Amino acid sequence: MTLLARRRNTLVMVGVAIVVCAVAPLRASWLDLAVLTGILSLVALSAGLSYGQAGMLTMAQGAFAAIGAYATAVWTTRYGGSAWLGLLAALALPALLAWALARMVTRMAPLATALATLALGTLVEILARSWDSVTGGYVGIAGVAPIRGLESPVLFNVLVWTIVCVAVLVYENLMRSRYGRALKSIRHDRTRAIADGVAVAPLLSAMLALSAAMAGAGGWLYVHYITYMSPQSLDTSTSISVLLMAVVGGAGYVLGPVLGTVLLTLLGKLLPAQEAQGLFYGGALILILLVARDGLLGAADRWLHHSARAGRGPTVGGSP
Amino acid sequence: MIEYVVRGLLNGAVYALLALPMSLLFATAATVDFAVGAYALLAAAVATSIAGPLGLVAGLLSAFAASAIMALVFAGLRRSDEESIRVALASFGLSVAIASIVLIVWGTRAFVRPTFASVLQIGGLRINPQGLINVAVSVSLVVLLYWLLRRTNLGRMMRAAAANPAGAELSGIPVLGVQCTTILAGGLLGGTAGLLILHSSGLDFTASLGLTFIGFAAAIIFGITSPVRSLLGGLAMGVIEALSSGYTSGMVSSMVPSLFMLIVLMSGQLGANRFSGDRP
Repeated sequence: MTLLARRRNTLVMVGVAIVVCAVAPLRASWLDLAVLTGILSLVALSAGLSYGQAGMLTMAQGAFAAIGAYATAVWTTRYGGSAWLGLLAALALPALLAWALARMVTRMAPLATALATLALGTLVEILARSWDSVTGGYVGIAGVAPIRGLESPVLFNVLVWTIVCVAVLVYENLMRSRYGRALKSIRHDRTRAIADGVAVAPLLSAMLALSAAMAGAGGWLYVHYITYMSPQSLDTSTSISVLLMAVVGGAGYVLGPVLGTVLLTLLGKLLPAQEAQGLFYGGALILILLVARDGLLGAADRWLHHSARAGRGPTVGGSP
Repeated sequence: MIEYVVRGLLNGAVYALLALPMSLLFATAATVDFAVGAYALLAAAVATSIAGPLGLVAGLLSAFAASAIMALVFAGLRRSDEESIRVALASFGLSVAIASIVLIVWGTRAFVRPTFASVLQIGGLRINPQGLINVAVSVSLVVLLYWLLRRTNLGRMMRAAAANPAGAELSGIPVLGVQCTTILAGGLLGGTAGLLILHSSGLDFTASLGLTFIGFAAAIIFGITSPVRSLLGGLAMGVIEALSSGYTSGMVSSMVPSLFMLIVLMSGQLGANRFSGDRP
């Protein structure tokens, strides 16, 4: 029982996933929305992992997802390989690139990290547009086969949310391990962490690689669902919107990014026009930063603690 | 070859105007305003819908208004004692929002309004007269800013706030006010750059992030400390861009700003001593 009690976030996530998988098949449009929300949640989780836990503001998550998507798209269409082997490539390639990036980024100040990842994201986008022989240039790659055995959207939806649950489990386990505690101490006081014997650069690099792999998995799901990949599918604006989703939900909390994604995509559906999306996302981000700087979950956490403290004296620490 | 260099210098003068707000804000508030490119975009978009010189004024005013929003957000975030990264994130949100507004109101069309139909011939070089105006405007703005920073009280306050915020606050300098003024100045400078680009090469709603990038890269090439260095950085960016578009494929030339920024960041120009043992 204690094992389950320590995995509260995962339990909540599994509950939400079961509800989503049960309700979504009722209507075709709901199903589509559920699949896309799940995929975006995965990418937003990866952004939350790197920004909220490791303190690295990465604006290249969309690019990592795109690399994963291109890897599996090229592998399955050009070489006729299986989608599951494509998943391996979609996990490994972004992770490798992120590792290489992190080796130089971890020495940088946070602002420089944000700029460097943004530059990398732009480079990947330009490369995808120009490297005609591999990525198909502007036209992109069409006709990516769905995953065998999971062609029906209902089953695919189950797969998506299962992967989200697995990602949350990995994330929560990681944060409960000694690596998670080391990360926390790096975030609070880097010099102190170094003095305590934490190998800061390798740990942060590993975190960035893990988060890139998560984003790559999102890209893999995306391309096998849409069956088409072009430079516009997962671009810098995707990186920015998943970051907004993570921050709005609460990047420091495991389930924050998922909450932010679900809320913003559902509310985004109510918008009159597609063009207004940027206005909505940007406005939501500024509002959240001004009103609740730790995101919605952070505000809820503080409110809960506040009311608890009013009842039975001071409480020690939070439970991110 | 010479023609590319000259053309690059003429374009680069505009980039210097984008680099100036970056270096000013980084110096006074140690943060980055990602929305500078969006101010330029907004100014250009507004200026196209109103004819004549009035449009230019309206464009500048709209950019100024946008930067006023940013200044308010900045003040709100500062009061809660927050680090610079959140300000950068918020400015990102503003940039996305402005680009979206431009897309809603003006659509996907390109904003361009050439001033001169003919090109000048000077010693075998073909030069767009607008380029000369660009250089004149940006050089005079740089000189004005240099004078402002070195000779006036506001400039002294800005430099004091940059050198030691806590000390400046203690000696009665309104640091927050100075920082907000810097953001507003960024709106004006970015707006001017947008108007100049509107009259030379033109831009569309996707341009805002790219312009921010170019501005930032230009600001950090030669160090982020002085307006004169920003001008040199802008000119260098322009020359590099013109040369790469002349001699290499379109792919390489579109990669130049990002690549440049990565290289400069890797060399550790920006906040390199932040983690070498000092405590925040």
